[in-house]
Amino acid sequence: MLKLHNLSKVYRTDEVETVALDNVNIEIESGEFVAIMGPSGCGKSTLLNIIGMLDTPSGGDYVFMGENVAGYPESKLSNIRKQNIGFIFQSFNLIDELTVEENIELALLYHNIPSSVRRERVAKVMDKVGIAHRAKHMPSQLSGGQQQRVAVARAVVGDQAMILADEPTGNLDSAHGQEVMEMLQALNAEGTTIVMVTHSPAHADYARRTINLFDGHVVTENLRAAV
Amino acid sequence: MFNNYLQVALRNLVANKLYSFINIIGLAVGLAACVMIALFVRDELSYDKHWNKADRIYRLHNTFNIPGREPMHFVKAPGPAKHELIRYFSEDVLATTRIRTFFPILRHKDQVASERIHWTDPETAEIFDFNVIAGDMKDALGDKSSLAVNRSFAERYFGTTDALGEVVNLNIYDIARDYKVAAVFEDLPENTVLDVQAFAAIDEADFTNQSWEFEQWYSTNSYLFFELKPGSSIDTINDQSAPFVNNAIKIDPDAGAFEQASDFLEMRAQSIKDLQLFPQGRIGSEMKPTGSMTSVVMFVAIALLTLLIACINFMNLATAKSTQRAREVALRKVLGAHRGQLMTQFIGESVLIALIGLAVGVALVELMIDPFSDLLGKSLALDYSDGSTIVLLLGLVAFVGSVGGAYPALVLSGFLPARVLKANRSTETSGSVSLRNVLVITQFAISIGLIVATSVVYGQRLYVTSVDPGFSKENIMVVSNLNLSGVQGKQETLREEVQQIPGVTMTSLAPDTPVNGNTGNTTVVREGESDKESMLIGVQVVDHDFFPLYDVELLAGRFYERARKTDVTPVAENAVDGERQRGAIILNEAAAYRMGFASPAAAVGEQLRIFLDREHEALLEIIGVVRDMQYQSMREPMRPEMYQLPTDYYLDLSIKFEGDAQAVIQQVETIWRDLAPGVPFAYSFIDERIEGEFAREEQQSIMLAVFSGLAIVIACLGLYGLASFTAERRTKEIGIRKVMGATVLDIVRLLIWQFSKPVLIANIIAWPLVAYGMITWLESFPYRMESWLIVPLCVIAGVIALMIAWVTVGGNAARVARSNPIKALRYE
Repeated sequence: MLKLHNLSKVYRTDEVETVALDNVNIEIESGEFVAIMGPSGCGKSTLLNIIGMLDTPSGGDYVFMGENVAGYPESKLSNIRKQNIGFIFQSFNLIDELTVEENIELALLYHNIPSSVRRERVAKVMDKVGIAHRAKHMPSQLSGGQQQRVAVARAVVGDQAMILADEPTGNLDSAHGQEVMEMLQALNAEGTTIVMVTHSPAHADYARRTINLFDGHVVTENLRAAV
Repeated sequence: MFNNYLQVALRNLVANKLYSFINIIGLAVGLAACVMIALFVRDELSYDKHWNKADRIYRLHNTFNIPGREPMHFVKAPGPAKHELIRYFSEDVLATTRIRTFFPILRHKDQVASERIHWTDPETAEIFDFNVIAGDMKDALGDKSSLAVNRSFAERYFGTTDALGEVVNLNIYDIARDYKVAAVFEDLPENTVLDVQAFAAIDEADFTNQSWEFEQWYSTNSYLFFELKPGSSIDTINDQSAPFVNNAIKIDPDAGAFEQASDFLEMRAQSIKDLQLFPQGRIGSEMKPTGSMTSVVMFVAIALLTLLIACINFMNLATAKSTQRAREVALRKVLGAHRGQLMTQFIGESVLIALIGLAVGVALVELMIDPFSDLLGKSLALDYSDGSTIVLLLGLVAFVGSVGGAYPALVLSGFLPARVLKANRSTETSGSVSLRNVLVITQFAISIGLIVATSVVYGQRLYVTSVDPGFSKENIMVVSNLNLSGVQGKQETLREEVQQIPGVTMTSLAPDTPVNGNTGNTTVVREGESDKESMLIGVQVVDHDFFPLYDVELLAGRFYERARKTDVTPVAENAVDGERQRGAIILNEAAAYRMGFASPAAAVGEQLRIFLDREHEALLEIIGVVRDMQYQSMREPMRPEMYQLPTDYYLDLSIKFEGDAQAVIQQVETIWRDLAPGVPFAYSFIDERIEGEFAREEQQSIMLAVFSGLAIVIACLGLYGLASFTAERRTKEIGIRKVMGATVLDIVRLLIWQFSKPVLIANIIAWPLVAYGMITWLESFPYRMESWLIVPLCVIAGVIALMIAWVTVGGNAARVARSNPIKALRYE
């Protein structure tokens, strides 16, 4: 699916140069469920943003589905991103002014899909995550768990091959957290590649492989036998 | 406490530079517009209020109501009315006086000039309180060899205001004698309809050969002012117009179409205080151009709208900013501030901004007041020592500060501290969002309305000056002042010499030229019909060359020909008892139909009866009918007219030329100077004269354009500020959309659409209102542009407003859209 080779990311301000990622080499196969762990500030989110093409690396190669995208311009990245990658955030990042349905539809809006098809797919995915009865509600009327389910639905409605989840359970209580993890696991079982950043070892256990980051370096990679 | 407020207010101003800039500049421009218009309005409203007896001074006007024609208003009155008014209304009228403008030849030492001097009755000195520097006005006006002159006149001719006893020689009609200066008065202020540099006394005996000047009832040449007795009401006089007129003018009910004089003549008085803003006469009938209440109301409306737009900016930006101030408010509340204290703080802040705005605004006024005064033909200035000016300025600040600060003060002070602090930010109330939308809609509705109004006023002016008046108006120069004493008897020589100038193709010598303001009328009857069938028809006096020179189309018959001895105009002096003189006349098409002829051709060869005086009639043969032309002002409807040959009175020389106008002017002037030294050389071009009739509309359209431009600039400033705050508020949403694959263009489109909606709604509101207003305005013109044109103008104005909004929002939107989405999403 993707391959990072000698990847680095350096943030420069006028006075300070901060190395966020240093010589990172990671390969993720199609259909994998990978958890990225590490202490605050170790570069997890930077790594996820680069994988998600929301940020560009300072050096090294990023081969995504056989294409080295490291030097691609924003518009090209945006195209690859919207075809292949779905996102789930810790803070859900739903748009407050749009209904549940409209929030999910947003992921199809920029894909040139006719509206009848969009509606059909949104309805299907809402059923799948069990949020159909809240279709017309505003995000502020939902619980955190429900909001995250909407976010998951939005991440998969476009049939994305890969989902990037940045602490998807960080804002949820344990019951709702578990619910979301099970949902991700089910998606993985259907063949979706999942890359998740988490602080919770329990939730990392849902993944088949855990990558530990420290100070911008990959320190360990644990491969788990099937759960 | 105050210090703390002031510090917070100043820091906020500095910290939010864009917000402060938009507010202060917007307010400054709005306030400057308001102050300038207030100066203009105050000046217009002050006209003739300074006379001691202003409340009791009136002027007598008369209106001729002729069936089948528009009423004709004259602001001058017949000479005998001076005596008759005070005799008939002896209970109510204290004094009456006439003021008649003449241009006598003035000789002083070696100087010879045609000067504007007003002949008046001695009562002028009682009714008006002139500021006399030397001598005595009553003495001066009571003696027919004395002169009262103003300061400028005295300084110009005698080099001093100590001019008592100085002598000048005046010559007009049969008067040719020395006048001694017996009074010097201060120049009249600008804010009076009187424009007088010197007065001479009327002695009716001086004008016995010109009985029309002061003795005839049907000739209106002098302004007639009168003073009411204290306690008397003007209604008494206006209500008894009919008996007064009938008592003064006796007519023979069997002789004409009217039973009594009041059937066609009405005399009404107007207060001197209303003459400036409610002018009743035609353009040019006052001593100097008047204003109009319509202009005053229009400018007041523009000022208020501009200020409203600036206030709206203020409110909008303040409510948008409120989210950022929420924490401060919450903390102050936690620490014990009352709601009232917070409201005081916010209102105080907006008054502070308004004060700074005023300071910048006053600087703008100082910068703009001169060009503005020039445009209006006034001399306006901000007088800081004047209490009412200061009250006006501070009043504006208090008003703008409170209005602009009221809503944020109410909303911000009402925040619940617990909610704000817990959420670490305040979610905006939907109320403030919709209020902002309403305000933006209002701003744009006003702007669109102003754009449409500007274009209609301009379009109307363009229309009337381009409409075909029925005659050629290009390359025709008119030399005037041919009636002045210094040119008497030399007109034909002048014409012959001008005709020799290379490039001059044709000349025409006549009392009347198009749009020169002369309106004659005469009573005619078709031969064979009774006097009862008589009708009043307009008469213009033109010579043989007039029609070819002005390229007027002949519909039937022929033009005047010099060779034909029958082409003459009968005059009373040549009348022989028991005999009817014969002459020729040319009609326009409307007159032919008015007289009942089936076609222009049918009229040719027919005879008309006219009345030379009580005993004598004359017969005129209709020799030709010409196409209708707009001989009068384009402000008046086309009228039925006859065109007769001049007898011996001339006013204008029309010159048709080819090639360079300047060369022709120079040569004509040289001839004029040789022929009539000392008489002012005055000329105009017919096309410019027609345009000049619409100078007021031109001035209005310039003012409208300037102020609608300002209004739009202020509205755009506000929109820009609002767009940047909105973009800030929507950062997260924009980030999400970008992650979902939205391109920069998608985001820009999204933001632009958000601000297009209020502009579109503003169009829907503005269109019907402005269309109604402008159609009503257009109805005051007999010649007006097609009113359906307002529809495309509305659409264009709407598109312009939309474009402006897009440009304003677009740059900001693109910047926001290009920013990296993770920045927006990382921290929550």
